[in-house]
Amino acid sequence: MPTILKDIAAIAKGMSITFMEMFQPTVVENYPDGPGPLRGAKFQERYRGVHVLQRDENGLEKCVACFLCAAACPSNCIYIEAAENTEENRVSGAERYAKVYNIDYNRCIFCGYCVEACPTDAITHGHGFELATFNASSLVYRKEQMLAPIPAHIGANAVFNQAEVLGGAPAQVAPGE
Amino acid sequence: MATIYVDGKPHQVDAQQNLLHACLTLGFNLPYFCWHPALGSVGACRQCAVKQFRSPEDKHGRLVMACMTPASEGAQISIADPEAVAFRKGIIEGMMENHPHDCPVCDEGGECHLQDMTVMTGHDYRRYEFPKRTFRNQYLGPFVNHEMNRCIQCYRCVRFYREYAGGQDFNVFGIRNLAYFGRHEDGVLESEFAGNLDEVCPTGVFTDATHKHHYTRKWDMQFAPSICVHCGLGCNISPGERYGMLRRIVNRYHGDINGYFLCDRGRYGYEFVNSEQRIRQPQIRSNGQIQPVPKQQAIEEGGRFIASATTVIGIGSSRASLESNFALRMAVGANHFFAGASTQELQLLHLTLEILRTTPVASLRDVEDSDAVLVLGEDVSNYAPRMALSLRQSVRQQPFAMTDKLKIPRWLDHAVREAAQEHKGPLFMATVAATRLDDVATDTYRGAPDEIARLGYAVARTLDPEAAGLRATTASGSLAGQIVRAVRAVTGLGKPPSGAPDADFETMAQRIAQALNGAERPLVISGLGCRSGPVLKAAANVVRALQRNGKPARIALAVPECNSLGLAMLGAKPFEEALAVAREHSGTTAIMLENDLYRQAPGSDVDVFLRSANHLIALDHLQNRTTATAELTFPAATFAESDGTLVNNEGRAQRFFQALTPQEIQESWRWLRDIFVAAGRREFSAWKTLDDVIQSLVSEFPDLAQVAEAAPAASFRMAGEKIPRQPHRYSGRTAMLANINVSEPKPPDDPDSSLSYSMEGNPDQPPAALIPFAWAGGWNSYQAWNKFQEEIAGPLRGGNPGVRLFQPPAQAGEYFQDAPKRFQPREGEWLVVPLYHVFGSEELSILSPGVKQLSPKPYIAMNDEHAKGAGLQAEDMVELAIGGASYRAALQIRPDLPVGIAGVPVGVDLFAGIQLPAWSKIERVS
Repeated sequence: MPTILKDIAAIAKGMSITFMEMFQPTVVENYPDGPGPLRGAKFQERYRGVHVLQRDENGLEKCVACFLCAAACPSNCIYIEAAENTEENRVSGAERYAKVYNIDYNRCIFCGYCVEACPTDAITHGHGFELATFNASSLVYRKEQMLAPIPAHIGANAVFNQAEVLGGAPAQVAPGE
Repeated sequence: MATIYVDGKPHQVDAQQNLLHACLTLGFNLPYFCWHPALGSVGACRQCAVKQFRSPEDKHGRLVMACMTPASEGAQISIADPEAVAFRKGIIEGMMENHPHDCPVCDEGGECHLQDMTVMTGHDYRRYEFPKRTFRNQYLGPFVNHEMNRCIQCYRCVRFYREYAGGQDFNVFGIRNLAYFGRHEDGVLESEFAGNLDEVCPTGVFTDATHKHHYTRKWDMQFAPSICVHCGLGCNISPGERYGMLRRIVNRYHGDINGYFLCDRGRYGYEFVNSEQRIRQPQIRSNGQIQPVPKQQAIEEGGRFIASATTVIGIGSSRASLESNFALRMAVGANHFFAGASTQELQLLHLTLEILRTTPVASLRDVEDSDAVLVLGEDVSNYAPRMALSLRQSVRQQPFAMTDKLKIPRWLDHAVREAAQEHKGPLFMATVAATRLDDVATDTYRGAPDEIARLGYAVARTLDPEAAGLRATTASGSLAGQIVRAVRAVTGLGKPPSGAPDADFETMAQRIAQALNGAERPLVISGLGCRSGPVLKAAANVVRALQRNGKPARIALAVPECNSLGLAMLGAKPFEEALAVAREHSGTTAIMLENDLYRQAPGSDVDVFLRSANHLIALDHLQNRTTATAELTFPAATFAESDGTLVNNEGRAQRFFQALTPQEIQESWRWLRDIFVAAGRREFSAWKTLDDVIQSLVSEFPDLAQVAEAAPAASFRMAGEKIPRQPHRYSGRTAMLANINVSEPKPPDDPDSSLSYSMEGNPDQPPAALIPFAWAGGWNSYQAWNKFQEEIAGPLRGGNPGVRLFQPPAQAGEYFQDAPKRFQPREGEWLVVPLYHVFGSEELSILSPGVKQLSPKPYIAMNDEHAKGAGLQAEDMVELAIGGASYRAALQIRPDLPVGIAGVPVGVDLFAGIQLPAWSKIERVS
């Protein structure tokens, strides 16, 4: 007899905690049913999500195709093809830009070494994390998918033709002048 | 040898060398900039400072520059001394003050000596906070990119360009910290060795401008040990590949051949591999339409062509590997195996082989070490460019002997040059036209090929009156008397040509003979450049005469293409005979192996040949006139896509290996094997790998037995592993094929070599013939070759790669007898001779955009006196007719051409297939 009572008491105690918690405020993130574009997901600033390829204040791509991110990558998942900027087609501020910049998210381990290696702060980790897919090949992200949008105040390539952007440092010494 | 103490430990080093050389040979990491193994010491950068102590008791010591201090017996030095370490760090900091720190956008980044040395010294924080000096960059041509801000003023570039390579249009301007290295104005660098500035410059001031257009870091490239195909010297190169594209060529050190330097044709001629004109899959021509066909269908079609033919004619190629040529020879039989070359060229090649077998042969290193040189008929700078750079060093040998007496060590570069002033060792240039070596020549002689040969004969007879059967008449006569008599015997045969008076000719022969006889290591250079047998024979006679005089004389002969000698050794017959066979037989099938016949033989003959064959099969790299006529075309692999063996001008067999990952393009021998197996010749299916072909080759040609030893066989392993083609930092491995399959595909197997298409494998130093790229811990730049050598600037560990097929003979060979008759200019006719251009005369390199840009426009050149006589002016449109074809080009006035001689630039399209030398009228056309 005393055992039955003991068991009932134990259930009551357990259930009381359950019922008590039902009236407490929610402490987990209400993802994916929360409000806003992130559907309730919240991030620490330093969270390492899908990469973002940044632009500079003129809207040019910051990436100068130096290949250091690819070299730093421990899973060898960064693919870059470089091309040269020309007067007509200026994509980055330096001589070269990344014509192709792919990251294979099948392989990426989000270690952040690429971000650390980047000398121009061109590649950063964004907060994107919803990568799951039924088709692994769609996990190979192209530059266009990672590139930060052109700031609204910059018209397409208008600023890049200005002399102060193209000119570089003035010459001090050159023979024959 | 001397014993020196480095940080208290004794080491045996070469007493003739400096401490830096000794320390690097011992394997110590000591930073340096201005010193270069080939350029010597000038002590400009102060980077290689070490502490030197007077005795073990001396605790104070003093800082010395290792590169300027001899490695004398008992020298006590310390590399690790804190004061020396701090000094070196301070020097680097000073150099880095104005350096732009733009490594991420610099092409040198990742293989930069300045980066390596900065890391080595431990300088890691910039304190300088002021504006940096900036410069304007120059346009230096299609090959070399200029970025002056990166300069650290080590002066290596100007020392290489002016002092080592003899260039004039590059210098240092300005003073103090505003020294500017460049040209006096923008323009293409004139020297054909300018490309070496890429490697000589310790940082990114001079970089490869062709590489810039498809830039890839060194660590991201797949390399292979390879051989340059743009002339007959066989310089060692290291091509780099990325994403299926050949990105660039760098020098691969070879102690006996190219050393640290290449010519620009070899370095920048590679872009034909990436050309849009490449044949990338089998093609068939039906109803005038060229269409790609699947591999198997093309092979079966080829098999049918062979099986149905009454006779199969095989045309080999002097730019195809020994293995591919051999495969063709086995397939078509010795009687039907031909070279694209003419009878004349093959005879010259066989004469070359005969001379090489019976005469001591000089490697390029030997050329450099020769102290008296006679060049007979060869425009070395344009025909075999790298040899010209070696020749420039040979004139320093006699000054060295002089400065040795003054006890100036040879490595003390500027002291030696100061002491020697303008004094140069003997170098005699006897050529048809002016050459770019004339500025260092003791004397030049210009004449027709026959006159050059006669000069050679005269020199030989001056050296040894027995030469060519001429008996010394009086034993009592003085040497001088004998010399004069001997010279008269050959020169008194007829009237002297107007350009060379008899007396000049005699005294010149005498001077040359004296210089060669007075030298310790005399050398004679000749070759196929002026396409004259007598010139080759004369060169051999001079060497033989010197040998009889007890001199260790050598010969170096230049050959036209990378495998000219290999093809000749396989017994290929001349094109004329192929033409005869094609005419005699009906129902023939002709196979053209990597050979554009229109460049080899007169167009009309080639037309006849191609028309008389029933079926035409071509294997080649790029579309050309010959492949355009072929019914079936197979994509043949270039040097970058295949493995094989080439025989260079000294008879050295060297293996080259595939740099590009395999694809549909395959080696010619594999295509031939497949076609002939399809034609029912089952025996060829035994050829699975390159080693199988080499085995057959060796058993068929005992002469070529050593070819098998040119490099380790494919079964070679280092501690059970293959040798990686890719640096261990190779990036993007899993991403680069993600577009095909996200699961990383297995790297392709390489059944032909012991190299792998991977970054995985044995990280140790491979045998010399298998070093794909230069890299050693802490040494990412080209300077890493220091770590691969037995001694700095000496042979690679385990011996330099390749095997010499000809052993030096025990005694001097017999003299050649038939001296040519005196050259007689003709009235109203010119002897048209070939003129060569480093950029433009070679078939494959001219297909690269940069080389194309620098190649000459077609011209017909003659002497101004002559032109005046014929009423012609510069730029007049003139025409000459040779072998039934006429050629029309603008007239160029070349005062250096001898009387009765006209020259045309061979290799440019207009003059393709022209057979020279030949007589022709030259007339103005409207």
